[in-house]
Amino acid sequence: MARSGLEVQKAAVKALFLREIKTRFGKFRLGYLWAALEPSAHVLIMLAIFGYVMHRTMPDISFPVFLINGIIPFFLFSNISNRSIGAIEANQGLFNYRPVRPIDTMIARALLETLIYAVVYVLLMTIVGLMGEIFEVTKVITLILVWFFLVIFSCGIGLIFMVVGKTFPETEKFLPILIKPLYFFSCIMFSLHNLPKEYWPYLLWNPIVHVVELCRESVVPGYISEGVSLNYLALCALITFFIGLALYRNREEAMLTS
Amino acid sequence: MIKIENLTKSYKTPTGRHYVFKDLHVDLPSNKSVALIGRNGAGKSTLLRVIGGIDRPDSGRIITNKTISWPVGLAGGFQGSLTGRENVKFVARLYATKDELKEKVAFVEDFAELGKYFDMPIKTYSSGMKSRLGFGLSMAFGFDYYLVDEVTAVGDARFKQKCADLFRARHEQASFLMVSHSLKSLVEFCDVALFIGRNNKVAFYDSVEEAIEIYKSDEGI
Repeated sequence: MARSGLEVQKAAVKALFLREIKTRFGKFRLGYLWAALEPSAHVLIMLAIFGYVMHRTMPDISFPVFLINGIIPFFLFSNISNRSIGAIEANQGLFNYRPVRPIDTMIARALLETLIYAVVYVLLMTIVGLMGEIFEVTKVITLILVWFFLVIFSCGIGLIFMVVGKTFPETEKFLPILIKPLYFFSCIMFSLHNLPKEYWPYLLWNPIVHVVELCRESVVPGYISEGVSLNYLALCALITFFIGLALYRNREEAMLTS
Repeated sequence: MIKIENLTKSYKTPTGRHYVFKDLHVDLPSNKSVALIGRNGAGKSTLLRVIGGIDRPDSGRIITNKTISWPVGLAGGFQGSLTGRENVKFVARLYATKDELKEKVAFVEDFAELGKYFDMPIKTYSSGMKSRLGFGLSMAFGFDYYLVDEVTAVGDARFKQKCADLFRARHEQASFLMVSHSLKSLVEFCDVALFIGRNNKVAFYDSVEEAIEIYKSDEGI
């Protein structure tokens, strides 16, 4: 009967993952397909607006490829971090079952979002590839590492938001507002070298810029973004994750005290 | 055995902190079912939840090597848009190994007697059906201690009988920590008692009847 802590946590994350996926998509007719269709539709609409209606083009990269590599990482980040804000209240009933810890709900959700967006990414890249857009995945390892650190970074921000949101309930109102403007400062609609070089230092603080530009570099050989670095991203992700874990560990008991 | 050491628990209220327990020390003997007796708001359910590890004390510890259930019949962990079966599976994944999963689901399905409702979303259930599911779910797992907070009276007459029979059977191998306003069922299922008095003093009694007498005289009934 006695299980190790790791076994209990694994069981909890797995149970929560399956529960989450069923709750979100189980009731629809096409079921799990919606998991991929929903964000795909979102990205496709953005593509239609910016690419075909506004005729945005980029000199050294196909515009759909450019946009997909910007929007999908950003959505992954904002979904993981935003959903953590009210996670404790939203899952209060589950904490009656002792194996479930608040961090497990976040891990389960992060895994699900990552899986969904990875599928969507491959799906959309395949579609635009078939439609004749030109790209070539030359740096697979960089791409995977960037995604990995993106998820770590998002989880770190998520943990910090979870603790801060629970400790100071007032902040739950404006934490999501902090994420929104990042949409415009994360090189999603433009690339770094569209901007004058003197503004770069301000933007390059933002790890999401590194994520987005590194993703583009990995799939388009001619696309080169000076100034971004995988090392910076990795450092940011690990520090954020560490802060998140430290805060969480410190406040876990208090967060579960009514 | 469950050792409660130095337990302090308070709640924030607009008029300042309200202390439910201060520096509580109690040892609950092994293999004895415990009745928690006290007026409404005395802190019986709080104590139950703290012992069960669901709520955390301000300070102090609960020391035990026994497994303790979630509150029997609890419906708060159910997800309304999922079916009864899916909710049961979720809890079974938390508490049981993979090989036991089927057996646990089958037990609940059989015990709760919900028929085709077992595969319908919980939000379509009546409160009686929800209690049946909750009760069956708790009983599907073997714990050393079951936390029971006012649930001996769920469902219709026949189901009540079924629950009482299962309770008695479980009593052979497991113990209960029980809160109930039915003093009769406390006497039936419990061996020892904790009485929480007016001044939030907690006293341990070897006999449930004795504690009930004290409770009655304390309340003036």
